[in-house]
Amino acid sequence: MNFKIVGIITLLMLVAGVKTFGQVSQNYDSTRYKKFLPDYVKMQFAGGIGFISMGVGYTFFNQKLEVSYFYGYVPESVSTDDLHSVSLQLTAKLLRYKINPNIELMPLNFGWFIHHTFGSEYWIKLPDHYPAEYYWWSPGRNSGVFLGGEIKTKLLSNKTPASGTAFYVRAGSRGLYIASKFGNATIPLNDIIEFGFGVAVYR
Amino acid sequence: MSMRTTLKILLLIGIFINTSCEDLFDYSPYAIDFSDENRDINQRNIERLLNCKNDDTITIAFTGDTHRFFDETELFVSAVNKNPAIDFVIHVGDIADFGLPKQYLWGNSYLLKLNVPYFVVIGNHDLVGNGSQAYQEMFGDLNYSFIYTSIKFVYINTNSREFKFNGNVPDIKWLDNQLQPSIDFTKAVVIFHVPPTDSDFDASLKEAFQNSLAHYNNVLLTVHGHLHHHEIYKPFADSIPFVNVFGVEHLKYNSIKISNNQFEVETIEF
Repeated sequence: MNFKIVGIITLLMLVAGVKTFGQVSQNYDSTRYKKFLPDYVKMQFAGGIGFISMGVGYTFFNQKLEVSYFYGYVPESVSTDDLHSVSLQLTAKLLRYKINPNIELMPLNFGWFIHHTFGSEYWIKLPDHYPAEYYWWSPGRNSGVFLGGEIKTKLLSNKTPASGTAFYVRAGSRGLYIASKFGNATIPLNDIIEFGFGVAVYR
Repeated sequence: MSMRTTLKILLLIGIFINTSCEDLFDYSPYAIDFSDENRDINQRNIERLLNCKNDDTITIAFTGDTHRFFDETELFVSAVNKNPAIDFVIHVGDIADFGLPKQYLWGNSYLLKLNVPYFVVIGNHDLVGNGSQAYQEMFGDLNYSFIYTSIKFVYINTNSREFKFNGNVPDIKWLDNQLQPSIDFTKAVVIFHVPPTDSDFDASLKEAFQNSLAHYNNVLLTVHGHLHHHEIYKPFADSIPFVNVFGVEHLKYNSIKISNNQFEVETIEF
């Protein structure tokens, strides 16, 4: 099992997250150091990448594009076995409206994600006991797309070093589900949709 | 809005979601959280079947290799429901193409609409990822059997490749034990997914499997899937017939009628 890797990644994320906010309050004035710190931390419920997922990431192109890295956990209480996974997400924020000085609305976010579940049964490369191309997909790594919306507020900006807090929702699907729905009118569309929501605290 | 109020609202939303619309939110493609109607299917159907009125003739509808042919599976189910001769249905494996819990749920959602009891044997696709666990939660043990009107139906996991040809799949000892003669049955029907002639079957167990089937001279026939087409053949020098049944995508199913220790295979289009 790759729990060690999961542990290390999570620890790094936590350290990065804490440093993001800790360093501002301690008045470190090194811009070079600042550059490498994540721009936000996220906590997400569901969305196919974990029961609860914690993420960090960076914004690019005037906050139009986000790259996030999540660690997701599914506890035994909601599944037969607990599950550990990580995912990488690209989100393009296509529309942005400033409602008032404190609230920004981003009603059309489009994203792509790749999701990796840990465990030997969730292989990525076809194991040696299969002939070449025996199975065309990999259970350990699959990707999908999602649409979402977000409201960014000034919450937490008064008393903490954070610049604001955002709340977001997302609805997506992954390749394996889309392939299952393909050609099957009798599969309900909402069966292949993974809903989720979360909160992001920005630096 | 204070932080405390926000947290309270979030907590309330969380409680609402957990109690009212659990199905809407997905935690992982590998999360297994089946409702009662999707659990213990094989055992519950054995009980259902044994409570059915029976005569000396058993007629079984076979399908299998349903993979992602969900619409075709629905057509199969309505065709069987229109056929009053069918006593029960056997699915010869590969109900979940990627082995995903969600595909198990989809596959079973159609079979749940059958008017008669049904049984599913494990296929190689069903074992990918945590599919073995999903199968056991939904259907039960990978090897199982029951006796109905003095015929023993033996379902055995023959997906050797999925177990890295570890020498334990198929479980020859278990099979031998199942076929040991008793006063409760006269003949046996052995059902599996991968036939012994296939490269996915453990070559080192092929002979032992054949010997086990022939040992007590009580196996009437074996039925399998995996190859999707239909054929009746005798792969070994002994006289046990093998019936390979149609995959659902052919929009045909095979029915097998058993009476007086003899059987008859029919192909029905739908």
